[in-house]
Amino acid sequence: MFNGLSLDQAPPLSVVIRFFITVPVFGILLSLIIFFNPHEVLIPTHPISLAAVHLMFLGVITMSMFGALFQMQSVLGGRPIPSALGNAFLIHLFLVIGIFALCGAFIFSLPELFIIASIFLGASILYCANLILPLLFGDITHDTLRGMRLPLIALSLTAVLGIVMASEYANSSFSSVHEAVRASHYSFGLIGWIAALIIAVAFQVIEMFYVTTPYGSWCKRNAFRIISASLLLKVLWIFTHLPYSWVFDLIMGALLSGFIFTTLKRLNQRKRRVSDVSIWFWQLGMALLSLAILTYGAFIGSGYDALQSVALIAFALFALAIILGMMGKIVPFLVWFHLSSAGYMDAPIMSNIIPATRAKGVFSLFALTSVTMIGGVFCLESLLVGAIIGGGMFGLLLLNLIHALRLYRDTLIHGKRFG
Amino acid sequence: MILLDTREFDHPLPLEMAVEHFKDLSEDAIIHMIHRREPLPLFEIISKNGGRYLSIREDENLWHIYITRSQNVKLEHPYV
Repeated sequence: MFNGLSLDQAPPLSVVIRFFITVPVFGILLSLIIFFNPHEVLIPTHPISLAAVHLMFLGVITMSMFGALFQMQSVLGGRPIPSALGNAFLIHLFLVIGIFALCGAFIFSLPELFIIASIFLGASILYCANLILPLLFGDITHDTLRGMRLPLIALSLTAVLGIVMASEYANSSFSSVHEAVRASHYSFGLIGWIAALIIAVAFQVIEMFYVTTPYGSWCKRNAFRIISASLLLKVLWIFTHLPYSWVFDLIMGALLSGFIFTTLKRLNQRKRRVSDVSIWFWQLGMALLSLAILTYGAFIGSGYDALQSVALIAFALFALAIILGMMGKIVPFLVWFHLSSAGYMDAPIMSNIIPATRAKGVFSLFALTSVTMIGGVFCLESLLVGAIIGGGMFGLLLLNLIHALRLYRDTLIHGKRFG
Repeated sequence: MILLDTREFDHPLPLEMAVEHFKDLSEDAIIHMIHRREPLPLFEIISKNGGRYLSIREDENLWHIYITRSQNVKLEHPYV
């Protein structure tokens, strides 16, 4: 059974890095929007709030995940993405234009921008899914690759529903099923795309990076089936106005709770208990996901709106925690690997590419951002502080990435080759 | 023979450790790396830099990898 990694057909460094380096730029923009509009971002239906939500989920989270997909598909699958360089350029460009257009459309209430956003975001997302999905079928046995099917299908559905809503916003005319479309858009995006992809990635990286026992085969086999069935039934229930749709939320909440428990158990039982910032990110991410599940459950029970805001912010921070933790591992490895395989045997060691103090700095700022942002739902001053710290965190992340790229470039220019 | 048991080291440290040893490897010396999975990225680095390797799977999570820079040294695993 193929169970390792193959970088024989790994994409060039620029394919992945172009997505990663855009993340802190959108993160800083998001921090600015929150800082200058704290009242508005806490009103879920306010255009500024919608712009902020899409900056986070598209500009930060989806942007990172696209970069990771380009890397993982080639590395895990052995079936590389065709013309990775050109396709990554187009997908990234369209995604960036689409995000700016969508946020501009919300902020400035310009109908034309909704149309432009639909075209570019739809093209980027559906093209990316169409590019990678066919590579995930056939004789694929790797659990993570099989697990990536659901997120890509869910992302495509999220995009299609998003286009439907964008056309409603462009025409300022909302159909009778607008709320159902919106709820389905959120469900497919948050659970089907983000949570499912993180679970699929965890199946690979927790065991490999931290020398833990693997996740159970039942878990690997059935997690995505349960999420798929629950999502589809929930959407059916929403559109047909059937009662008890929360039952499907309960099932997905239970599954995510099981994922949290098994992940933390594995991390706590790892053989070599060395200090690693990426483990702190995983642990904090699991705590944030727990908070998101608990507060969403409490919101369903009580109808208290602030709890829904806490759940959404905690969920976004959960995804960001995993992304930051993984980025801190992947970027140094890719820089080191590409230099080493090109024969630069004086390639910097991985721990020097993003020094531990800087990685810990990102973690500390992220932890503070999490506390202040969640507290910001109840205290506006906390949200302002959170925006400042969050901006600082994304700034430091940007510096770390630039530092890594500078080391890569300097070694290419001045490095000594082997032999 | 340089023995390098990396089974309990977090990824990607084992790859870095192996490459560091490979850099300083004398012409006819061999690294015997013991690892919990097949380190395919390492093979690309070794091959692209004039080295050779032999990879033997002994068990589900136990691999023996032999690495040399020599084109003449015979790589073999005693249990196969």
